[in-house]
Amino acid sequence: MSDPSQQPVNPLPAASTSEFLLTFAIILLAIVLLFGFDTALVRIDRAATSATALQEYKRGQSFFAAGKLDEAIDHFRSAATLDRDHSVYTVSLAQAMLAQGRPAVAEQLLRPVLERDANDPQANFELARVLVAEGRPDEAKSYYRVAIVGKWQGPDAERNRTAARYELINLLAQSGDKEDLLSQLLPLQDEAQSDSARRRIAHLFITAGAPGRASEMYRAILRQNPRDAEAYVGLADATLATGNFNAARDQLDAALKVAPDDSVIKARIALTDSVIAMDPGQRGLAIDEQLRRSKALVQRTIAAARKCLDVESSEVSEALDSVTRGLVASAASVPRPQAIEENLSIAGTIWRMRGTRCASQNQPGEEALRLIQEKIAQ
Amino acid sequence: MPRRKLPHVPKRIVELVEDLRRKEDRLALALSLVIGALVGLVVVAFIIITGRLAALLYPPGGLGWRRLAIPIVGSLIAGFLLYRYFPLARGSGIPQTRAAVFIHDGRISLRSAIGKFIVTAFTLASGIALGREGPATYIGAGLASSIGRRLRLSKNQVKWLLPVGAAAALSAAFNTPIAAVLFTLEEIMGDLHAPVLGSVVLASATAWMVLHLVLGDNPLFQVAGYHLVSPAELLIYALLGVVGGFVAVAFVKLLLWLRERFLRFPAKTLWLQPVAGGITVGVLGLFIPQVLGVGYDQVERVLNGDMILKTVMLLAAAKIIATAMSYASGNAGGIFGPSLFIGAMVGAAVGGVAHLAFPASTAGPGAYALVGMGAAFAGIVRAPLTSVIMIFEVTRDYSIIVPLMIANLIAFYISYKLQHETVYESLALQDGLHLPAGAFRARAGLWVDAALRDPPQPLTPEMKVDEATMRIGDSDLESWPVVDEKGLVGMVRVNDVVDAATGSQRPVTIATIMKRGRALVRDGSAEFPHVHSDQPLGLALARMGDTGHNALPVVSRKNAREMVGIITLVDVLRAYGVDTTRMTPARGSPVVES
Repeated sequence: MSDPSQQPVNPLPAASTSEFLLTFAIILLAIVLLFGFDTALVRIDRAATSATALQEYKRGQSFFAAGKLDEAIDHFRSAATLDRDHSVYTVSLAQAMLAQGRPAVAEQLLRPVLERDANDPQANFELARVLVAEGRPDEAKSYYRVAIVGKWQGPDAERNRTAARYELINLLAQSGDKEDLLSQLLPLQDEAQSDSARRRIAHLFITAGAPGRASEMYRAILRQNPRDAEAYVGLADATLATGNFNAARDQLDAALKVAPDDSVIKARIALTDSVIAMDPGQRGLAIDEQLRRSKALVQRTIAAARKCLDVESSEVSEALDSVTRGLVASAASVPRPQAIEENLSIAGTIWRMRGTRCASQNQPGEEALRLIQEKIAQ
Repeated sequence: MPRRKLPHVPKRIVELVEDLRRKEDRLALALSLVIGALVGLVVVAFIIITGRLAALLYPPGGLGWRRLAIPIVGSLIAGFLLYRYFPLARGSGIPQTRAAVFIHDGRISLRSAIGKFIVTAFTLASGIALGREGPATYIGAGLASSIGRRLRLSKNQVKWLLPVGAAAALSAAFNTPIAAVLFTLEEIMGDLHAPVLGSVVLASATAWMVLHLVLGDNPLFQVAGYHLVSPAELLIYALLGVVGGFVAVAFVKLLLWLRERFLRFPAKTLWLQPVAGGITVGVLGLFIPQVLGVGYDQVERVLNGDMILKTVMLLAAAKIIATAMSYASGNAGGIFGPSLFIGAMVGAAVGGVAHLAFPASTAGPGAYALVGMGAAFAGIVRAPLTSVIMIFEVTRDYSIIVPLMIANLIAFYISYKLQHETVYESLALQDGLHLPAGAFRARAGLWVDAALRDPPQPLTPEMKVDEATMRIGDSDLESWPVVDEKGLVGMVRVNDVVDAATGSQRPVTIATIMKRGRALVRDGSAEFPHVHSDQPLGLALARMGDTGHNALPVVSRKNAREMVGIITLVDVLRAYGVDTTRMTPARGSPVVES
């Protein structure tokens, strides 16, 4: 305790043993009393702070609901600063920041929350949204998954979990990740209660490449409510996806009977009619008509591919012309049934090539072509 | 203290206590533990009471007039309490703790410590823009001192208990046990190898454990992990070090300049002076509420990048003014916390500009705010090692450590070049206290007091050279102390006196000789050459070489004009074990051996 270079030997303390004992007893008593005092003080402080934080949070929520983001942020921030134990305050602050168009700040707020508890479902959910807003959907998926399986608290637990699942599903649908999408949809199939939810899930099954499941769900809806025009349209979409265009047309006719003025149904009918008119695989067609339709399909596919590939490179476009001319010429020199097959094969090859390069550039007018290509692919 | 009987205490306990009393190492261990626990609990209470009081004074949704009125009224009440009851509780507490260690034999009264607790809690709660760490350090040291004195330990032992209490307090106040140890050794003791290291570590750890036991495991700031986006970013961090260094110097100079002005006011205005700080904070707080109080919530915001460039620049400037005025006017509170606030804002400003210019190759402003905190702290407090470790402990983020070290060292260097004394040294100097500078202690070194001798009968400035020559007589001293009615005024060379006595311009006074000689003094850091008894002999030698005096006065740290002895070159050499028998007897110069 002493500096040996300055004072080599310290004298014994002048206090006697009894004074020593008394002093230490007083100190220990003070420690015990202070510990009790501090503990009580902390309890009082936490109770008061938590109450104020909750008040601030509620104010923030009402401002947020009213679209007053600046005020909401101020109150959420105050709540988050006052009470760090409730991550919901910080998550709400991040949510408001995101709504204000400041995803980077929202991410900064959420990361420490997740460092404390990596399984916090709300923080994961919000960070996933932030990452989507920042254009990082692949990173967002894992946070959505944690949010879906996380332990949500409160009465809205299931609603939040489902919301997280739907957002992930939408993300997967946009990115064309069909297997993942299907795995997320399957648990929802039986959970969905309302017709609108079931219709939505059924529609997503089509996107996930499971039109059969979609059909089942639509039929179940129609069994309960045969006058549900939307379900008829959905069923028709699912049937279109299976390549059964004529059956889809019949289902759309049924829908039109329920809702004769519905423009969506009419547009779908027009689409289906054009698909039926283009489809080389329609039953009852003469071999010449099948050949003509297969050639037309090749031309349409090339045109669709060029629309996308021209954007990227003229060299690729020229190469595409050269290859398809050669293929069409060779198909012309073989018997018609074989020519039809080869044309369909060419069209399929070009479509797939286009698909890998131009997945994000589907043109609105190419819906019919897409349906026929999907049928050929099946 | 009268001796008491111990009628009902078991014999075993009495033996244990007696053992403790007799064995210094065990006593040190026991005291480190109890001081750590006690100080930790007191500081926790201090933090919570301050926070609760602030919450009562500034309820959420409170009206704007509170931000103007409360700091003014608060500083008025605090000013009165400081003036009337607790005069030693003014200011930070760190210079006062150092003064207690190096000047007052470790004495800090319990009354001062309690006063510091009450007045600082009230001051900070009222929104005055100062920090809690310095006062907490003083409170901790005060408790340790009181315990030491109650046990009637030797002065030296009580003196060494102060850093133990200070480290415990800082550890609990800032939730940084390692930085608390380093700060205590680096800044308070000025010696990273101080013999109290073990006790300081133990007390710091104990206080930290108490803090966690009571308040739980939460870092001071919740910050996302940052990392270096590109190696080129290091240049921007270096630039931040430069900016941080200049801002630190500007802040320290402003604070010292303002304080110098306040010190010139009559003593009877002392009770009113803190109101100047209250008015400054109140007016600024009315328009910029974030400037009120310690401001750690704002620091956390900026660390998370949640502030725009304009705001951080405004807050940096406002906080510099508010803190400098609050401190200079004599309010109770420290500059430890405000240094971090200013640094965070400056860092965010530099980072914000950098991120606007190079968004792809720089981190967000939050990362720069983090580094800025360390840079400003290193520049203002000039404890670079503490600064690096503290930022690491505060944020628990290791990834930013290299940029932090670069910025810290640059800020430290700039501050050192532009402001020779540290802020705590300068504040003590303003109070007339000569505290040791920086890491002045050498391990196992020899100290001035080992070679100290009684001073000769001094000369006076008015004395004629004939009289002076008679007084000097045949002494072997080469320089002679000169005193006036207020104390020591300097040293005069005996040769100069003898020359003047034999010259043609007689009668000449000692003052005239000193006036001529003063121009030759190369050490501009002091008015006259001197050393203190607790300084190394090596420093005395260096100072003799610098000034050309072979004898130096040894003066009190409390009052540099109070001469406690004298030290000569021969004495120094003797203390080092040099054979001084082959010295010239007349003036103590060594003989050059052929």
